[in-house]
Amino acid sequence: MSEPVVPETPQVPEPEAPSGPYVYDYAASPQRQIVLPKTVPLPSYRTYLAEQKAAAEADEARWVKMQADFETAKAKAEAEGKEAPKPPVRPVPRKDDHDMKTPWPQEANDPDLLRLQEILGDKVEEIFEQAGELTCQVEKASVLEALQLCRQDASLNYEMLADETATHYPAATGFAFSVVYHLTSISRRKRLRLRILVPEGFLPESACAVYPGANWMEREIYDMLGIRFANHPDMTRILCPEDWEGHPLRKDYPTVGLGQRDIAFREDRGGMLERIALQKAGQLGINLKQPKAE
Amino acid sequence: MFKNEEMEINLGPQHPSTHGVLRVKLRLDGETITHCRPMIGYLHRGVEKICENQSFFQGQVWTDRMDYCSAVANNLGWAEANEKLFGITVPRRAQYIRTMLNEFNRLASHLIWLATHALDIGAMTVFLYAFREREDILDMNEAFCGSRLTTTAFRIGGLREDLPPGFEKMVQKFLAKFPSCLEEYENLLSENRIWKKRTVGVARLGAEDAIAMGVTGPVLRAAGVPYDIRKAFPYAAYAEMDFEIPTRTEADTYARYLVRMDEMRQSARIIQQCMDGMPEGPVMAKLPKILKPEVNEVYHATEAPKGEIGYYLVGEKGSSNPYRFHVRAPGFINLQSLPKMAEGGLIADIVAAIGTLDIVLGEIDR
Repeated sequence: MSEPVVPETPQVPEPEAPSGPYVYDYAASPQRQIVLPKTVPLPSYRTYLAEQKAAAEADEARWVKMQADFETAKAKAEAEGKEAPKPPVRPVPRKDDHDMKTPWPQEANDPDLLRLQEILGDKVEEIFEQAGELTCQVEKASVLEALQLCRQDASLNYEMLADETATHYPAATGFAFSVVYHLTSISRRKRLRLRILVPEGFLPESACAVYPGANWMEREIYDMLGIRFANHPDMTRILCPEDWEGHPLRKDYPTVGLGQRDIAFREDRGGMLERIALQKAGQLGINLKQPKAE
Repeated sequence: MFKNEEMEINLGPQHPSTHGVLRVKLRLDGETITHCRPMIGYLHRGVEKICENQSFFQGQVWTDRMDYCSAVANNLGWAEANEKLFGITVPRRAQYIRTMLNEFNRLASHLIWLATHALDIGAMTVFLYAFREREDILDMNEAFCGSRLTTTAFRIGGLREDLPPGFEKMVQKFLAKFPSCLEEYENLLSENRIWKKRTVGVARLGAEDAIAMGVTGPVLRAAGVPYDIRKAFPYAAYAEMDFEIPTRTEADTYARYLVRMDEMRQSARIIQQCMDGMPEGPVMAKLPKILKPEVNEVYHATEAPKGEIGYYLVGEKGSSNPYRFHVRAPGFINLQSLPKMAEGGLIADIVAAIGTLDIVLGEIDR
């Protein structure tokens, strides 16, 4: 009797692992294009006044220099016996006949802003009006107090939080984001903007305790700009998938050259879908396997 | 073999009653909803990021594609926010034409709402009637700006073109027949026993809750709060128009239906006034070739058919792109109140609740 033949187990080759990283290192991606802003466009009456003063001083200095130049030129011409040069004319700003009148920041006269300053005192950093809108910048730690005041104070009575959003200022020193709250008073037909400046990593207090509608707005801010809010009932991403990397509305988030997302095919045991994806990408001229070295 | 436990199901993202790609995670106890969580983002295109990397003028085509049922209303808010940022005064004739087109757009948006909402609930006939009238409005859009849905109707500072010849005749023809059309819809629905059973007392949202959640538009007005931005903070030519704000106090789906039907009557009134009092003159303000703002931030809100649409713009000195472009989409804020409306109700009623909010996922996800 011959021994029963043990069937040989066929040697299945291990699926080939991709040799290189087929996911771009976002930071090192050669196509990454970011133009970071160089200025901090944060509207402010104080900054505006300082800028106006500096501009007036520069204008005056230029005029003094023009006059001095003229005097020297005149003396030189007299000494040489030539005709005297024309006296300088002070340049006046060019007039335009456009239907456009730039709204500059103005001093706060509105009773709402004055009342906020009166009650909150030092916690108010700045109040001003621009383009018919009221802005009140408060200290970042006391934003909830200011919101509560706006909601509950009988003479303010801002019932609704119309909008809450944030802006990224990478060029600023001392803060990285401004968070703005647009409040509406339905009964008094008024709007008010509260603003706080927060540095990277600071957790502002959530407005949900005062205005429950802030829930999704703050989730959107977290999703888009990466500002987390303290005491928020549900601080998760809302528009992007949960595993998304980065915060798209930051200024250092590129619009071009972000690379490819790592797609984990959970059902793809044999690596078939991955191979097809790589092949398809190759047909389109995209090399997912090896990012092009610089 | 009856189990007594809660069941979790997904409504959407491809369900026809969710008006796009809305996914609602529901926990059910029998047929009663105990927990409801809307999940959005399937249509996220990054409109805000795109607009921040384009010039001020180029942002408009993206506002068309946010709420594609009311592109003109989105254009109006966008144009006025930019005008506020630059400090531009728009000629009066342009204001009137804008107001008129905006009201036509409100009609078109409400008609598409009526059609789809009735279809969701089971009234098939209204769909066809409402789309018949909407077609006339889209024809007028086409006559004015060449496209029917994504209009890109306005420019910063006014309009590109004046009204085309023969436009007035089209408007008068439409206004002459529209009241009878409205009656037709109401005959089909208002006293319909099935319609009333499906809508009366369904998806209530009281005034206090609505204000706390930031809900605006017809949903808020059906709760008895007469808040309409056209009256509260007049823009375009609304300060010169004579119209009423229809309100109801029942705060249910039926009340919202009645509010929207009344709003359509008021819109027709405003259009008539615009045609009667149309001033002569230019339609475009005098502007420099390249617009560059000073440092400024504006939040401008207008009354879109679905509620308050607000544009938050930040201008950077010397840059032709907006530094920050943010849209406060009415649907995004209104949808937040869906759990409040749906929880405790029946699963069949969540379809009515989604329909009555009048959401368009294009603007919610942006």
